[in-house]
Amino acid sequence: MANLSSSKPDFSGQTALAGIASSTSANPDGGAIGLVFGEMAHLGKLNLRGQNGLAKAVKAVTGCTFPPKANRFQSAGDRHVVWLGPDEYLLLCEAGKEQELQDSLHSMITSSHFAVTDVSDSLCALSLRGPAVRAVLAKGCGLDLHPTQFAAGQSAQSLLALSAVTLMAVADDAFILICRTSFAPYVQRWLADASLEYGYQYIA
Amino acid sequence: MLIITCPFCGPRDEVEFACGGEAHIARPLADHKISDADFADYLFMRDNPKGLFLERWRHSAGCRRWFNVARDTVSNEIVEIYPMGSLPVKTAAKTTYKTSWRRDTAAEKAATPSRSKAGGSK
Ligand SMILES: [Zn+2]
Repeated sequence: MANLSSSKPDFSGQTALAGIASSTSANPDGGAIGLVFGEMAHLGKLNLRGQNGLAKAVKAVTGCTFPPKANRFQSAGDRHVVWLGPDEYLLLCEAGKEQELQDSLHSMITSSHFAVTDVSDSLCALSLRGPAVRAVLAKGCGLDLHPTQFAAGQSAQSLLALSAVTLMAVADDAFILICRTSFAPYVQRWLADASLEYGYQYIA
Repeated sequence: MLIITCPFCGPRDEVEFACGGEAHIARPLADHKISDADFADYLFMRDNPKGLFLERWRHSAGCRRWFNVARDTVSNEIVEIYPMGSLPVKTAAKTTYKTSWRRDTAAEKAATPSRSKAGGSK
């Protein structure tokens, strides 16, 4: 593990959903598949705390406009900056890039009061897509998920079937769902169960 | 189910929040000597009123930030939501703060820095 910043990232470690190794699907009623979902394995995740002097560095490093408004996220390609609180953000990046991003932020941020923490393995990101995605999520979440109330670009931290999640609406029919790594197998199974009536495909 | 308006995230379901109990309980400072009985007012004694109550709440499943809520324990009406470290401004909530038995306790008086010490810094 020496020299993290220059060595090629090692992806031999298990992901949060490594225990669910095979892809599964079920579509008892036939027709179009309602939900296609899978883990965004090894997605880089950084927690950023701080209030002042962050915008320039975050913009330069991620390409995203900063700060995002409350309950929203900003995107630039594969990189996202999600609002988590008045002085807290979640940075998402391509797998293996998180160390590089963390180093750049440390060297570029001029404020003396900030923290960048690598939480890549603490959280599990799932990609959800399909015409039934909102109906499935609404089964376990108290948020108003109608496309007019939770449009693309909006995010929220809430509960999904009692587990703490961050939801990001990427499009009308596409979400990124982030949960605790320890809850990931539960969330995966809950999603498979909740989407059964619409037909689902889980991609391992 | 209550809908509570988080000052940062907006209106959300009560299940996303955790109640932290009575607000405005100041810890007696170490350089004030008070009796164990007086310290117990700070440490153990909690109000349980029928009516308006000033409480701390945390948006535990959301932004995880603390804030104060003035809530009526009979009707569940939320009269005011205001930041940590500040006092309510709505008349009813202000009165609740001012008339609390806690304002007269030795523990609360001992939570204010003594004048001689405060005067020395500037
Ligand atoms: Zn909140």
